[in-house]
Order: sequence, then structure tokens, then C-alpha cells
Amino acid sequence: MSLIQTHSLTKTYGSGESAVTALDNIHLHVNAGEFVAIMGPSGCGKSTLLHLIGGLDKPSSGQVIFDSVPLTERNDDDLTALRRRKMGFVFQFFNLIPVLSAIENAALPLTLDGGKPTQAREKAVEWLTRFGLGDRLASRPDQLSGGQQQRVAIARALVADPALILADEPTGNLDTRSGDEIASLLRSVSKDYGRTVLMVTHDPRIAAYADRIVFLKDGKMIDDTRLS
Amino acid sequence: MSVRHAILGLLAQHPRHGYELRAAFSAVIGGDDNWDVKPAQIYSTLNRLEEAGLVQQQPAEQNGSPDKRVYDLTDAGRQTLREWFALGITPEHQRDEFFVKLMTALVSGAADPGRIIQIQRSLLYQKLHAATTLRESYNPRAEIAQILLLDKSIMHIEADLRWLDITEMRLEEIKRQPIPRPEIRPRGRPRKTVEG
Repeated sequence: MSLIQTHSLTKTYGSGESAVTALDNIHLHVNAGEFVAIMGPSGCGKSTLLHLIGGLDKPSSGQVIFDSVPLTERNDDDLTALRRRKMGFVFQFFNLIPVLSAIENAALPLTLDGGKPTQAREKAVEWLTRFGLGDRLASRPDQLSGGQQQRVAIARALVADPALILADEPTGNLDTRSGDEIASLLRSVSKDYGRTVLMVTHDPRIAAYADRIVFLKDGKMIDDTRLS
Repeated sequence: MSVRHAILGLLAQHPRHGYELRAAFSAVIGGDDNWDVKPAQIYSTLNRLEEAGLVQQQPAEQNGSPDKRVYDLTDAGRQTLREWFALGITPEHQRDEFFVKLMTALVSGAADPGRIIQIQRSLLYQKLHAATTLRESYNPRAEIAQILLLDKSIMHIEADLRWLDITEMRLEEIKRQPIPRPEIRPRGRPRKTVEG
């Protein structure tokens, strides 16, 4: 069962002669629980694809179907709710809030969604502990290493119990060793917790942790390889 | 090849018989999956080393198990081992089967070089996936040697993938260049007089 389907997904920036095609007619099906890496040289459209699937940007033509419903059929409020409850985002530079503790950062999606603070904290502690941060719950981001900050960010992405995790160069700001740890953690998010993980990376070593790699070049999908 | 040197090194530790040597070699290189040396190769290598005077059989009355041939290092064997340790190992990267395949495709036109690169890339990613998965299954407190050997192969696969990307990017350029032509020399003895 596909959690995500894209049909003839195309994104162009600008118009007329100066139009640039960032994504060209992408057909992609991703099953629930799959861990997929999206690879390609810079400017190949991999981040654009992630943004369109995450509803952060709108396609020029074609569509993204998430959980059987086309994103285009949802209004803005619907889309916001969907992003908050069904999707979790992980970024290259972690995007944690500096003045908040690990718990408060991880609990944020639930607190922002009007959840009970005690429940939000409980959930945050649960994920942080699973990710080996049980003894760093009160630490602020500047007291944590890059790898630890990214683990807080992944806990935050999972706290609302989403079906899909979208990670844009999640190891891009980490050394090799922490990068391996984060890639391995994302693999476990898919294997052990059954979430679908879509990860953009340009690093072959990191991509190899996934079950499948989709290759983009000049906005086109040029290959789709199963690794396991 | 270094099986013979490894045998010399293992005999430098203490005298052993063939079966024991095979097991010790397997343990040192991190298991038969890495380098499966058959018992027959161990025994034939031991015979050659004995003929070359680098190892010798211990007298039967000394070794406690007269039905097994126990080998020991000679002085010449010790010297050969020292020389091996004293020199670097030249890695073999120039004789590359994939490169031969790619060039054959380019020269013959019998296959699409771009497709050949794609197939190779898929395979390398599958190998990389398997290596990182296996690496995670090892215990860093007890199996660091296996982890380091896997790291070596992971890094080599990464390098091969980078090289594939570069080659793919320059494929059109390669196609536009003249194909290297074989230099055909006349058979037999060269003529003494120069024509023209």
C-alpha cells in the first residue's frame, strides 16, 4: 500500500524563456514503512521533491497523493494539520530553538497543536530516551553535540506520531561518525517503528542505509534501485 | 600473494600443523566470508615453502602428535618475513574489470556505456548497504578488526561511486575523443632495412 504517490509531478520556476524546470514529470510510489533515499547532484531537484511531498510548496502540474488524498484537494488549514500530525521534518541544521531544553524542543509539535503540556512532555521524554538522550533531557541545544541535537530533532519529528518523516540532508552538518549514527537511527525509525522515511542526501555512504535509492538528474528520475 | 607470508607470520608465533594454520588464518582476516582459503591451498603453500627452505617439519618425536606434520619456521623463513614487513604493499587499482567492460562497450558500440555505469552503481550501492548493515552487527568492543576491514571496503566503494559519477559526467567527452587504437607490430623479426 503506497503512502505517497506522485503523478507527473512537475515544478517550474519563472515563465516563458527564462523558465527553469526543477522537477520534470516524476512518478514515484513509496510504501508505508519504506526507507527511501533521494540522491543526485546539487540542483537536480531533490529538495524540491521533498518540499512538494511535504506540502511546503505547490506543484506546477501533476500531483502528490498522501494517504490516498491528493494534497491539492486539501485547503491550507487541512494541510497545516496534516503536516503537524502526519509528517515530521528533519533539517540539515537541526532547527532547534536555542532557549528551549531538549524536552521542550522535542515536545513542540504537540504543544503548538494545543496538546496537554504534561502529555507532550511524556511523549518527548519517551522518544528522547529511546534515542539515548535520557540523561540530557534538560540540556539546551548549545550544550549538546551536533549528533545529539539531530537526535532531539528526530525525536521532535516523531513526537506527534506521524506516518512520514522527511529528512533534508540530515547528516550534512555532522562528522562521519555522527552521520552514521543518525543514518542508522533513521533506519531504525523505519524498521523498528514502522514509519516511512524519505531522506535527501548527496552522501553515498548515508544513502546506503536506506532500502531504496531514487536518483534524480536535471529534475528527472533516472534510476530507482532497491538495496535490500 | 600474502597467504604464504601470513603462514610464515603465524609460524613465527609458534609451530603449527596445516589444519591449525587454516583456522588461524581465517581468524586473523576476520572469517571465511572475507577470504576463503581452502585447506588444499594451505597444504600446497606449505609444500612450496618447505621446498624453498622457508619452513621445516618438526621431527615426529618432538611434536607430540606423530600422525600430524607440524611445521616450524627456518632462519630463511624468518628473513623472508622480515622483508615482507619492511616493504609497503602496492594496491592493485589499475587492472580493473569494470573499466575493461566500460571501454569495451565504448569501443565496440555493443552496449550503452551509460547503462553500464547505472548497473554498476546499483550493484555498488547494494554492496555498500550490505557492508554498513554488517558493520552494525559487529560489537566494537570485541570485533574492532572486522569493523576496520569493513570500513576499508566501505571507503573503497564510496570512492568507486564517486569515480562512477565523474565518469558518467564526462561520458560525452570521452565519446568525442578518438578511440585508443592498437599499435600493430609486424610479426616475427623486425626488418633490418627501413622502407622509403
